Amino acid sequence: MSGTLEISNVSKTYDAGGENPVKALDKVSLTVNQGEFVSIIGPSGCGKSTLFNVIGGLIPDYTGEVTIDGHRIDGTHRDVGVVFQEESTFPWRTTLNNVAFPLEVQGMAREAREAKAREFIKLVGLEGFENHFPAQLSGGMKQRTAVARTLAYEPRIMLMDEPFGALDEQTRLLLGDKLLEIWSTLKQTMLLITHNITEAVQLSDRVVVMSYRPGRIKRVIDIELPRPRSSEVITTAEFGHYVGDIWNELREEASRGMADAEEKLAAR
Amino acid sequence: MAQTGVIGTVSGLRPRITVNTIRITTIVVLLVLWEVLAAVGRSGLLYKDVVPSSIQIGLAIIHEIFDPAFYHHLGITLAEHVVGFTIGSTIAVTVGIAMGANPFFRKMIEPYLNGIGSTPKIIFLPILFLLFGTGIESKMAKGALSAFFPVVFSTTLGMMLISPVLLRVGQTFSLTRRQMVSKIYMPSMVNPIITGLRLGMAIAVIGILVAEIKFSNGGLGYRIAEYYDQFAIASMYALIIIIFALAAAANVAMTVLQDRLNIKQGGSATRNAGLGAST
Amino acid sequence: MNRKVKKILTSPTLAGLAALALFAGVLEIAVATDVIPQLIVARPSDTFMAFPELQKEMHLFGAFWETLGMCAAATGLALLIGIPFGYLMYRDDLIGRAYEGWLAAAFAAPTVLLYPLFLVMFGRSHMTLILMGFIPGAIPIAIQCRQGLLGVSPTLLNVGRSFNVTEREMFWKIQLPAAVPTIFTGIRIGVMYTLVNIVAIEYLIDFGGLGRIVSEMYFRFDSPGTYASILAVVAVSVLFYWCFGRVERWLRPV
Repeated sequence: MSGTLEISNVSKTYDAGGENPVKALDKVSLTVNQGEFVSIIGPSGCGKSTLFNVIGGLIPDYTGEVTIDGHRIDGTHRDVGVVFQEESTFPWRTTLNNVAFPLEVQGMAREAREAKAREFIKLVGLEGFENHFPAQLSGGMKQRTAVARTLAYEPRIMLMDEPFGALDEQTRLLLGDKLLEIWSTLKQTMLLITHNITEAVQLSDRVVVMSYRPGRIKRVIDIELPRPRSSEVITTAEFGHYVGDIWNELREEASRGMADAEEKLAAR
Repeated sequence: MAQTGVIGTVSGLRPRITVNTIRITTIVVLLVLWEVLAAVGRSGLLYKDVVPSSIQIGLAIIHEIFDPAFYHHLGITLAEHVVGFTIGSTIAVTVGIAMGANPFFRKMIEPYLNGIGSTPKIIFLPILFLLFGTGIESKMAKGALSAFFPVVFSTTLGMMLISPVLLRVGQTFSLTRRQMVSKIYMPSMVNPIITGLRLGMAIAVIGILVAEIKFSNGGLGYRIAEYYDQFAIASMYALIIIIFALAAAANVAMTVLQDRLNIKQGGSATRNAGLGAST
Repeated sequence: MNRKVKKILTSPTLAGLAALALFAGVLEIAVATDVIPQLIVARPSDTFMAFPELQKEMHLFGAFWETLGMCAAATGLALLIGIPFGYLMYRDDLIGRAYEGWLAAAFAAPTVLLYPLFLVMFGRSHMTLILMGFIPGAIPIAIQCRQGLLGVSPTLLNVGRSFNVTEREMFWKIQLPAAVPTIFTGIRIGVMYTLVNIVAIEYLIDFGGLGRIVSEMYFRFDSPGTYASILAVVAVSVLFYWCFGRVERWLRPV
């Protein structure tokens, strides 16, 4: 299995209905190697969601090039599995049927797809909840259902947009452990988009810091913490050092973003 | 790329057709259909004299608007509506607040209110006729009865949906009971109560008109029934069209009013006007 | 006394029933002692006794099924036309914007006044009843169908796209199920108004099921019969919505 993602010179501009066009991404280039865990971090408005949509194939009209193992992405791609930030489980399907969804649309027979879905449900630790509806699950369980559903698609690259953003910090740390455990089993390429510094350091091999508008790559920081890693790593001095380092890069960008947002409200 | 619902409408293919084109075409098509029906009626094939031509109806509308008797009956209906609606909605707001404030009371009477609320109110007309006679009093009572239910339901719901955080904020500032009502409850309730009042107003009009059609000696409903009995079909349609126009105008006015009140809180009443609130 | 008994004795449901019984008792005495004239308010006991007579003479149950049948036919017609039209209004945004405002306005208007139009065409017939029930039934169904499909969360659509579903699968497996709750709201409102309009027209034109019976009882100055038949209509409405709620819950497990 391979899964090398290459992003070269990607730009995307939104013209917000005649007003000054917003340059969301400006010549972003990045290579994510097969089996690597990379996080992209930045303040709101740094274009990380746009980048997510470009790689996920949800925005087809961008300039530059995104390739997976040499094939250009235009439209959704079989090799990229996406986990969304928002509530994305189907409320009318049980956990089992949610996870089996991608297999169902691929035309897999019922028994085969249910067996396979059960495997992934077990992998994310939701055994016993196969016949529950999302409304009967907690926020963390719903996101794990969404993760299992994407895993069942068996993509070479997992692309996640703040999958644990809506959860509390402790749940998030524990789900981070779970995610690393799954990753060590399945060994896909992981690309995580986040605004949470702890999360980025806890999970990644590399953290990519993006700048506020126009979205550019400001710095790439290698995280040389030992693997396998557990959430206990956050107590170490080295961890704190990385967090401090990233915050130094981010602080200026975040305050520019905040000032911009407040200015816009004042102008209204 | 897969076309999806958000952008997957076919409207992009015909940029020159506008909403108004469709609306005007619809009106023209309906008018033509009506004229065809009228022509068939005149030829005696079916529905003889039942479908007057649109010109006849237009003339009848003009005639109706200049007929003092129309205003006499309009006045009767309006008076019945104002009195009935005021009584019905006042009682409803009071009961609704009591139900919202006292869970025991709410659980006690809610099943009965739901039961009667889901029954077509027209069926209580005989009781109102027995109690109040067939004059305007029974129409006022019908208006009150019709207006009561939407208002009581939305008031109760409004009471129950007040954010508990806001109530606790009030408590932490040690507001008196009176201040709680005037500073926290009332402002949070404005929207649901207005929605209920609006629906109640519309339903009360219908209730009163139907009561007038059944038994009365005045009012627009009475006039419709009278035209029907005289087989003055064109005049009857003319009157119905005028009533519809009045109802539409009142509806637009209420929407504008409600949006004005809402603007500060960022909500809008325009969407789905009058649909969602009646459940 | 044990706790359970105490809980039942102080429950609001029991208090409600007690209040109702008290009201009936007071009414009974007031009418029996002529404080309220018999002709205006029937004694609760007489009303109760009038039911067998009502069934024997007016075929209460037959009338009940007749009204229900009219409602079912009108609702069926409303679904058959409302849902495809709602879908059309969703597919073509121009058509949607052209008609949705009109439909909402028509729904707020006293459509019951249109009955003479059908009366002169179809006479006092079932056709008139069904068409009058159809009008207020189809409007909310069409509007909510459009709104439901428009309101599908963009995230769910993106999930579908990320799994490369076809357009057909997108509609049947994602858009439609996501819109079902909203469409059901429309159906619930529609059914409510269909029942109201059909009973109203039955009462106005003295034709059909329950509405006709109430009208006739009043004409005979049979006040226990009038009250009993009105109670029957209340019971039918409550039963109707209860059944509808059950069906809805069965179709939507969560």
